[in-house]
Amino acid sequence: MVELVPSLLRQELSNLADVDQRIDGRSRWQSRDVKLEVNCLYNGDGSAKVTWGDTIVYAGVKFEVRTPWPDRPNEGSLMCGAELRPIAGRKYEPGPPSPESIELGRVVDRGIRESGCIDLESLCIIPGEKVYGVMIDIHVLSDCGNIFDASALAAIAALRTTIVPASTFDIGDDHPLIVSKAPMMCSFTRVGGRYVLDANEQEELGGNERIHITLGDDGHLHSLQKGLKGVFTPAEFAEILDVAQQRCTELRDMVSAMEAN
Amino acid sequence: MNGAAEGAEQRLVTPGEVIGTSLDKRAGIGVLSQGEGMIATRLGWVRENNDTISIDPINSRYTPRSGDLVIGIIEAVRNNLWFADVLGPFNGLLPMSLAPWKVEFGAARQFMDVGDVILARVQEVDESHSVVLTMKGVGLRKLKEGVMSSVPMNLVSKLKGENDENLRALSAASDCRVIVGENGRIWADGNSKGVDLVRKVINLVTKEGHKNTFQQSLSDMIGNTPGGDE
Amino acid sequence: MMGGYGDVKLLNDDGTRLDGRAIDEMRPVTAEVGVLPAADGSAMVTHGLNVAVAAVYGPVEAHPRKIQRQDRAVVDVRYNMAPFSTSDRIRPGYNRRSREISKVTAEALESVVLVERFPRAKISVEIEILAAEAGTRCVGITAASLALADAGIPMRDMIVGVASGKVEDIVVLDLDKAEDNYGQADLPVGILPTTGEIAFLQMDGDLSPEEYDTCMEYNFKAAKEIHEIMVDALKAKYDGGA
Repeated sequence: MVELVPSLLRQELSNLADVDQRIDGRSRWQSRDVKLEVNCLYNGDGSAKVTWGDTIVYAGVKFEVRTPWPDRPNEGSLMCGAELRPIAGRKYEPGPPSPESIELGRVVDRGIRESGCIDLESLCIIPGEKVYGVMIDIHVLSDCGNIFDASALAAIAALRTTIVPASTFDIGDDHPLIVSKAPMMCSFTRVGGRYVLDANEQEELGGNERIHITLGDDGHLHSLQKGLKGVFTPAEFAEILDVAQQRCTELRDMVSAMEAN
Repeated sequence: MNGAAEGAEQRLVTPGEVIGTSLDKRAGIGVLSQGEGMIATRLGWVRENNDTISIDPINSRYTPRSGDLVIGIIEAVRNNLWFADVLGPFNGLLPMSLAPWKVEFGAARQFMDVGDVILARVQEVDESHSVVLTMKGVGLRKLKEGVMSSVPMNLVSKLKGENDENLRALSAASDCRVIVGENGRIWADGNSKGVDLVRKVINLVTKEGHKNTFQQSLSDMIGNTPGGDE
Repeated sequence: MMGGYGDVKLLNDDGTRLDGRAIDEMRPVTAEVGVLPAADGSAMVTHGLNVAVAAVYGPVEAHPRKIQRQDRAVVDVRYNMAPFSTSDRIRPGYNRRSREISKVTAEALESVVLVERFPRAKISVEIEILAAEAGTRCVGITAASLALADAGIPMRDMIVGVASGKVEDIVVLDLDKAEDNYGQADLPVGILPTTGEIAFLQMDGDLSPEEYDTCMEYNFKAAKEIHEIMVDALKAKYDGGA
């Protein structure tokens, strides 16, 4: 999965950063256009499609019924995974799950799990015997930069519009899954020497490390991840956290607006 | 109404479509002779002249031809050889003997390394489709400054315009050196405002090159810039 | 494939099927090309409730060396069902059914792609099924053909995927999920619309030679309809459409 970085690209990104510009004309903290669709997969108990610039990601939620873990007899479970298959881009090769896809799944998982937006006890059917397992599968169809934010948005939007298929398991009537919060992820990449919001594919190719921040409804931090080679300063982090607070609120509003319909 | 180029019919065909009989014409690019009939093998515009039927394809990958000017990116270095990505099915090979400098055996990496951008020409393409590049020639060199971009193959001629007129106008309006490789890659060098204009034009070509309003939109964009032809 | 289960009725008394279709009527089909910006060519096809997305990358140099052929390109297909595509979730990972479908789909596509033009190269075709309701290998073939055409890969014809089968001793066109699960036979094919040749063929169940002929008749009829939809999708993008 090693990509070829043209020397001119790194130079260009650096020159542009020096005059506070980006390669596609956006400002430093400006995101690309985001489109969100829910209930778009027929067999998903919940589903969402996110078109983020040219990046396209689907998320599907499926339920299973199983026995609870012995040490948590009253809790169901939540698991989030991601697939980066060759369809997503030239750089993705066939084979077993890559570290990149595993990281993506786990980072999105942590943000949702640690926010406590799903009460695992509410997934209990019969204590000690039967619980729901909720599986969120992220499927990236097109990677043109920032698959993390697109995936996280798709996952939470799918969850927020999920219907528990209780009737399928002869447990009761179908009912909406209770998701009490909406954790949102915001990713920053060091491009041309400074952090920017929502790197596109050129910026990722010629850029350096990235930081993913997931915030809850109250602005609390629920998960953090720094990926790829590079270092940052506490001051840089403080700056992007500030931007994330605002951006996550905007994303949350987008999901709320979707739910209102 | 549609994007057929000069000389091509307004007829858009799909793979497998029968487009005529082979009794009096030869099959050109994108056309297969099957029995008495001619069928299209590509999605594109039918082009018919005195003795050939061919297709102007909507989409295609770059096919290297001897003599092509190309912009490549060095992908690998060996002792006496560089491999460059030229956007074709196979990498181009640049042997030491065809580099612009005198290179000692084993010292290749000192001159050009992975990621370097080069302006080269296709020296030859052999039967197994191996592509040999040369950098011996006027203007052929490592591109150390400037910006690089690309447009889809079928829009290269739209970008350049009839007799390169668009290219000349863009160069003048942006006050930049602009080179368009046959492989769809573009290189530009100049002040940041000019480079910005070049980027805008490339964007326009990519998004609207297939429309027949394109040439007008392009003239508006280039013409209305300070330094453009007024 | 089992014979009909006695308690599942698949045909109404008036001869129509559970979803109201006549026995020789196919489910609705839609197609769109150029849906994935990163790919050289792409398409999304819906067939009934099936949704398939296909992407083409290539021709590129064939790697690893062992799959490279000196005289032609190889067509490398990956057919995959997304975990959320079926009513029971599919665990991601190696799947024997998908592996087989990938192989025969590649062999079908290699029969129409002009592979001799690209020796030592590889053309990758990625088929992802996002929703499955019987007939996914067929919709995958259709989507793959469109993606190849969108990518500008030369082909002597496209391939249309379609299936017929038998339920309650009646031959029907285009099985849906219940009919596939509880019916008596399934015959998916990949048809070349211009020449009428067949590049993809599988079958399971129980069919008399006459029933096979009727299945094929239905398949050809449907292939013609689907082909028109494919052609419209390709032309819509470029032919001064809306």
